[in-house]
Amino acid sequence: MPSEVGQIVWRHRNVIDVDCFTREELYFLLDQARHMENVMDRPIKKVPVLRGKMAVNLFFENSTRTRVSFELAEKMLSADVVNWSVSGSSQAKGETMRDTAWTLEAMGADIVVMRHGAVGSAQYLASKLKRAIVLNAGDGTHAHPTQALLDLYTAWKHLGNLEGKKIALVGDVLHSRVARSDIIAFKTIGCDVVLSGPPTMMPREINSLGCRYEIDPKKAVENADMVYLLRIQKERQQDGLFPSVDEYHRWWGADDNLMKYAKPGALAMHPGPINRGVEIASEVADGHQSVILEQVRSGVAIRMALLYLCGGGVR
Amino acid sequence: MGKILFRDFKIFNGTEFIEGREVLVGDGKISKVGKDLDSSDADVIDGYGKILSPGFVDLHAHFRDPGGEWNEDIGSGARAGAAGGFTTLIAMPNTRPAISEPSLVEYVLSHGKAAGASRILPSGCVSKNREGKEMAELLKMAEAGAVFFTDDGAPIATSSLFRLALMYTGKDRPRIMEHPEEISLFKGGQVHEGKVSALSGLKGIPAASEEIDVARGIALARETGGRVHFTHLSSAGALGLIRQAKKEGLDVTCDTTFHHLTLNENAVINSGYNSRYKVNPPLRSIGDQAALWEGMLDGTIDAIVTDHAPWHMDEKDEPFQDAPFGIASLECAAAVLIDFKNKNYPDVPLELILKQMTSSPASLLPEKWQSLGRIEEGAIADITVIDMERTRIVDCSEWFSKARCCPWEGIALTGWPVMTFLEGRKIWQDNEDL
Repeated sequence: MPSEVGQIVWRHRNVIDVDCFTREELYFLLDQARHMENVMDRPIKKVPVLRGKMAVNLFFENSTRTRVSFELAEKMLSADVVNWSVSGSSQAKGETMRDTAWTLEAMGADIVVMRHGAVGSAQYLASKLKRAIVLNAGDGTHAHPTQALLDLYTAWKHLGNLEGKKIALVGDVLHSRVARSDIIAFKTIGCDVVLSGPPTMMPREINSLGCRYEIDPKKAVENADMVYLLRIQKERQQDGLFPSVDEYHRWWGADDNLMKYAKPGALAMHPGPINRGVEIASEVADGHQSVILEQVRSGVAIRMALLYLCGGGVR
Repeated sequence: MGKILFRDFKIFNGTEFIEGREVLVGDGKISKVGKDLDSSDADVIDGYGKILSPGFVDLHAHFRDPGGEWNEDIGSGARAGAAGGFTTLIAMPNTRPAISEPSLVEYVLSHGKAAGASRILPSGCVSKNREGKEMAELLKMAEAGAVFFTDDGAPIATSSLFRLALMYTGKDRPRIMEHPEEISLFKGGQVHEGKVSALSGLKGIPAASEEIDVARGIALARETGGRVHFTHLSSAGALGLIRQAKKEGLDVTCDTTFHHLTLNENAVINSGYNSRYKVNPPLRSIGDQAALWEGMLDGTIDAIVTDHAPWHMDEKDEPFQDAPFGIASLECAAAVLIDFKNKNYPDVPLELILKQMTSSPASLLPEKWQSLGRIEEGAIADITVIDMERTRIVDCSEWFSKARCCPWEGIALTGWPVMTFLEGRKIWQDNEDL
């Protein structure tokens, strides 16, 4: 067991955002993920810790990779898995979310993994469920805790103790649930977090997030151990937040030149799916510093760890 | 109607507390305020030191009637008002259809009367069908009983319409009430632009949205000499502009809400983004909240309103981002403010907030209603009794209002209205107050 990992009593059922975790709990979780990743390498990729439990993946927004990642994690832990995709927005009002929650519970769901476009939806669902637990797979622009945890896990595997390490997050922070959860996770674990991106894509009062902002990505990336590129949704350009994709790429896109300002061997990270030639050049995405595919693998391991710890595996 | 003698009360006359007097009510009017009044043919109510205040006047409430009666109707709203100590409620006209013609003004008045609870006074839209294009029949609506003109829910759509309406109504017609907001800065907004938007990613509504529209209204008031009342002020900046305009001598007035005085954006954050805190204008920063209290103290703010915005639970009980804007508060607003003041501003005299709930808002109504909000001989006998010792837990399930949630649900508050009289007739009494 690495020195930063201690023994703790796991007290969490629902995971709405990473702000519920202490540094000790984060390291404990990362260590659990390491064991889970070993399961992924076995010839028979299955352990029985969630046998007989029913997991429902409730997705109000399309997100094939997050859903598949959760589904793989649930199946490797032997849970019974149901995918419940709700096309269209809840405002279309087939059913209120309260009724959906009660329906799920009536069917005997033990674990609900939810992705929803509305901020506060995961918290809301958890408040309506009496028995089943809720893992937030993304609620609007607010939080995406499992993404932040898999990012931490990937960084930890490469860099070891993360205390005092520097991470630069570059891109659309304003609309990014990934950035919000990453900021909390990396700060909790003791990293220096610096943001960069167009000022129109930064929240006002950045200091309430507890990190610095540099308009110039070179300054943000300077001496960083990790360079994290956030996905740019091209429709933001239609909203007028930046004038053109080309201008964005020239200023804030990550290419080999930008990576030179970071520490040698710094990690290039991205939550995927990547927009080549927008926030990240192919030379970086496919280069030797990129850990983007490892992040994907980490996602399965960390979700297994979280499902195991919260989902009744230890009770 | 029989006479009532109110004895042993601490009397707030709309401006100040007066000592050692009794109040005699008869024929719906206050017939006498004095010492040792003759009680021979009157029912006597002993106050045991409770406060006797003019009935509260709320310049801004939504009743969803016509068109949204499952959320609230005029009857349930009038009963909710009575149970909150409010005797006069100004109904906002953004219903379906919007109140923009005399027959609809009469509809609101007659349904209000039929409820037999608080007095409902209608406001009319500035524009026909609240479309923001042509001016509605303002004079006919005033004649039918409208006491304000407003396109509330939205600002007056164009500056030219705003200007025309000010010129047309002048000094002796109902005032124009403006919902101050610059729409292009609102689009998709959910919360205050600041800490809460940074932490949640919810789209922010910048304080500048309010300031810009207040600046527009002040410029038009200056140019036309018209009277503008800005409603539900939420930001320090907009308040500063109004303070300046008042110094300049312009006839501009404003109100803020019970919830903006007692809550700020931290409540949204700490609730985990619970929809009961979702309201427009949004709950703003601690600094804005403090500025509103300064505005109360220096007289920049003329009234405190509920902006009572009731929703059926099926609509309001949704994740934050999907829920509609609005806080329902008629039945607890007074207690919320009294309790907050006593805990956070113990040195602010109670008469200051009571004045802004009674005589001060009443003074903004047309001539006919000017005697509301006062305890003096000849005034309409609208009376609210307040028990400063009474502690109650807010329980929305007991409300007359059809709304079933509010930010204070489950919280114990001290200082409640316990009895309400309209024109000398008791319209509500707290069951436990005997």
